[in-house]
Amino acid sequence: MLEARHLTKYYAAIPAIRDVSFALAPGHILGLLGPNGSGKSTTISLLTGLREPSLGQILFDGRNISDHLVDYKARVGYVPEDAHLYTFLSGREQLDLIGRLRRLPSALRTSKIATLLDLFGLTSAADQPISGYSKGMRQKILLVSALLHDPDLLILDEPESGLDLSASLMLRHLMPMLAARGKVIVYSSHILDYVERLCADVIVLHRGRIVAAAPVQQLRAIMQRESSLEDIVAQLVTTIDPEGTARDIAEVVGQHG
Amino acid sequence: MTPTAGGDDAMTFRLVTRLFLRRLIDNDLISPHADRHQSLAVFFGFVVSLAVFVTFFLSTPYLSAFIQLPGPAALSALSDRFLFIAASITLSALGALMVWDALALEARDAAILGPLPIAARTITHAKLAAAMVFGAVLTLALNAVPSVLYPAFLTVNIRGIAGGTILRLIAAHATTVIMAGLFGFFAMLAIRGMLRLLLGDQAFQRASSGIQSALVVSMVTALLLAPTVRARDVRYWVGDAVVPRWPVGPVLWYLGVNETLAGHLVAETPIVMPPRMPSIASLTRENQAARAAYRPLLPPFAAEARRAWVSLPLVTVLALTTFLWTNRRLPDRSAGVPRSSRLRTIVRRMAERYTHKDPEAQAGFFFAVQTLTRSASHRTIIAIALAAGLTHALMVLAQSDGRSLAIQATRVGVLGIAILLLLVLLAGVAYAVAVPAELAANWTIQMAWLGDERRYLAGVKRAALLFVAILLVLLLPLHVMLLGIAVAIVHSLWGLLLAVAALDALLLPYRKLPFACSYVPLENPKIVWPAGFVSLLLVTYGFATVERWALHTATRTIALGVVLGALVLLVRALDRARRRERRPIRFDDRPTRATQRLGLFEHLAMHD
Repeated sequence: MLEARHLTKYYAAIPAIRDVSFALAPGHILGLLGPNGSGKSTTISLLTGLREPSLGQILFDGRNISDHLVDYKARVGYVPEDAHLYTFLSGREQLDLIGRLRRLPSALRTSKIATLLDLFGLTSAADQPISGYSKGMRQKILLVSALLHDPDLLILDEPESGLDLSASLMLRHLMPMLAARGKVIVYSSHILDYVERLCADVIVLHRGRIVAAAPVQQLRAIMQRESSLEDIVAQLVTTIDPEGTARDIAEVVGQHG
Repeated sequence: MTPTAGGDDAMTFRLVTRLFLRRLIDNDLISPHADRHQSLAVFFGFVVSLAVFVTFFLSTPYLSAFIQLPGPAALSALSDRFLFIAASITLSALGALMVWDALALEARDAAILGPLPIAARTITHAKLAAAMVFGAVLTLALNAVPSVLYPAFLTVNIRGIAGGTILRLIAAHATTVIMAGLFGFFAMLAIRGMLRLLLGDQAFQRASSGIQSALVVSMVTALLLAPTVRARDVRYWVGDAVVPRWPVGPVLWYLGVNETLAGHLVAETPIVMPPRMPSIASLTRENQAARAAYRPLLPPFAAEARRAWVSLPLVTVLALTTFLWTNRRLPDRSAGVPRSSRLRTIVRRMAERYTHKDPEAQAGFFFAVQTLTRSASHRTIIAIALAAGLTHALMVLAQSDGRSLAIQATRVGVLGIAILLLLVLLAGVAYAVAVPAELAANWTIQMAWLGDERRYLAGVKRAALLFVAILLVLLLPLHVMLLGIAVAIVHSLWGLLLAVAALDALLLPYRKLPFACSYVPLENPKIVWPAGFVSLLLVTYGFATVERWALHTATRTIALGVVLGALVLLVRALDRARRRERRPIRFDDRPTRATQRLGLFEHLAMHD
């Protein structure tokens, strides 16, 4: 259903990602992992259609998305890493705007927005300007706006960022349910425990290239150890000694003049 | 946790002040996405070049005079100084209005600084210090260059004037305009503080953006009216011979300061003729007559100056005390105040009916109304446009004899009031649609947009026409008073038809998504702005002349209505034809580089 073929993206001749390829069938949740600067956000931005690849192509239902970009975006729900919203609008107004642009019928739009705001615990703040929202509240608005039109493909970049515990747990339950309904989900996160629980397949990016792409169980077999996903990723992409660096940090924190 | 030592208080205060200053510059005055140093350089470069241009322009008669007589120079300088003082007051006030929200502690400040071990009093004082530094630097930047150049240009052709006298003139001019600028800045701070104190926090939050827009309109109108004041007007106003048509009190107070400090220095300079040139009796008489006209103004100027010396400390104390009182506690982290839901529901239903229940048109309509009324940059654009129209209206009304119901006796300018106001409002809207509502949030619309901008644009146009209708309703009582009820109604209907055609025509070349694309500045503003200004006046006065002609008989009245209706249909048809061809929208267009605009690439290629 979603296929990335040899994606490469250059920013001013500097490659951000090189030769990234993968395919996802309906009902699959793909975990996108990697340290800062590994190319996760670039891959995500190409998958949303907001940026064009320098080389390679993305196919959705067998069609190149750049040839049918608007149709493709109509089927995508996206939660970006940074919660940039129109701060002078209220949460409800922001969702109304998105719902209207996505041509949702009036009654359905109004009821869906009201119900989702209620389920996300935002009803009391729904008519206040977003400028006064906390990061978690903004993140919830982003999640509602990504889900509002019942998309076939969900692209989530650190969706749990800023969420409180209950919303975070709810999200953990929601993703498999949506996948069970045939949605394709691309899930980028730094919280590896989360990814391990949610995603059947993972891709590990490092310096713009895929260094591992397989189900978590298979990765374990390849690495020949009964370790957590965290250990596996650390072994693949970590160039520093985390324990040693942590010790150094603790030393610096403890300095007093 | 280590508590802050008492000795570190001064350092903390300086650090927090610097943080607030950065916030004033980064997030309100200059785009948060731009490089701060570059933006500041461009901003101050613009301010200084504008100041130099205006000073040169005003000084042309003094620079080009073969012999400048001191008496007439002292008299004619009154209107120039009036303009400098009015500009200093209004521009400093506009500077304060641009950072209106950041002039008090915000929830964000509480969120960032609240958890740190800093006393609330230190945060409040730092915010006040940042606002004061900002006001002082802005006032200095606006006035530094004219303070040196203008007195020098004024006296350049007055022979025999001593260097020390010129320095005293410069010092007096600088003192006056800087005092005036600080008055303008602190007046806005005082108004803000007083209103917050009187209305309470919740009511002030609701009314704040409306108050800010009203003040921007008044300040821009005052700034635009200032150049129309002649030296003779100033003399009459100071001498109590004529009552001013608009509130000019504060400008006259500070003019009084300048004249009492240094006015006599120019007026009393003796005439020194160039070598080998005989003294000409007519020049001496002219100089004496001007001196005789100037000298009686000094006592009233002294009275005005006393008001200035009292007003500045008074307004400063008022600004500081209201600020300290209203910001004595860190603001609550909770978000603003929910708006009245019943009123919102009624307005929403009416608007949904108005937009034919088409979701994309509704999106365009609601988003346009929300952006134009809530986004600070868009509100400013509309306020400046309205101020330009209001200035014209005030000038016309000032020259009007009040009630003149016969259409034959009606001046073309009276009919032009509404037309110009409508056209500048629409020009403001056409400019505002090209400015993103919030650049960083553009992605939300880009992701949700389904590829047809026509219905969304139709919604935006309906929002603009709603503003037009509100403006016409507000102007109706004035038109009824000046033109009579029947003509006023016909005039309003024609205004509406003209506005519909003008809006379609203005947006005819626009092929993007309003408020959701990156801003691309005009490539040739030096041609487009003057041409736009001339076209605006030509259309306004051309249409007003035709309208006056048409209003003489019923047949002509109907004929003009038919012509306007046909014009609306014609522009609509053109618009439809242009938009029939679907084109992908470029959301992130960037301005053409100067090297490309100037054809330097081609030039280089030729020599390669």
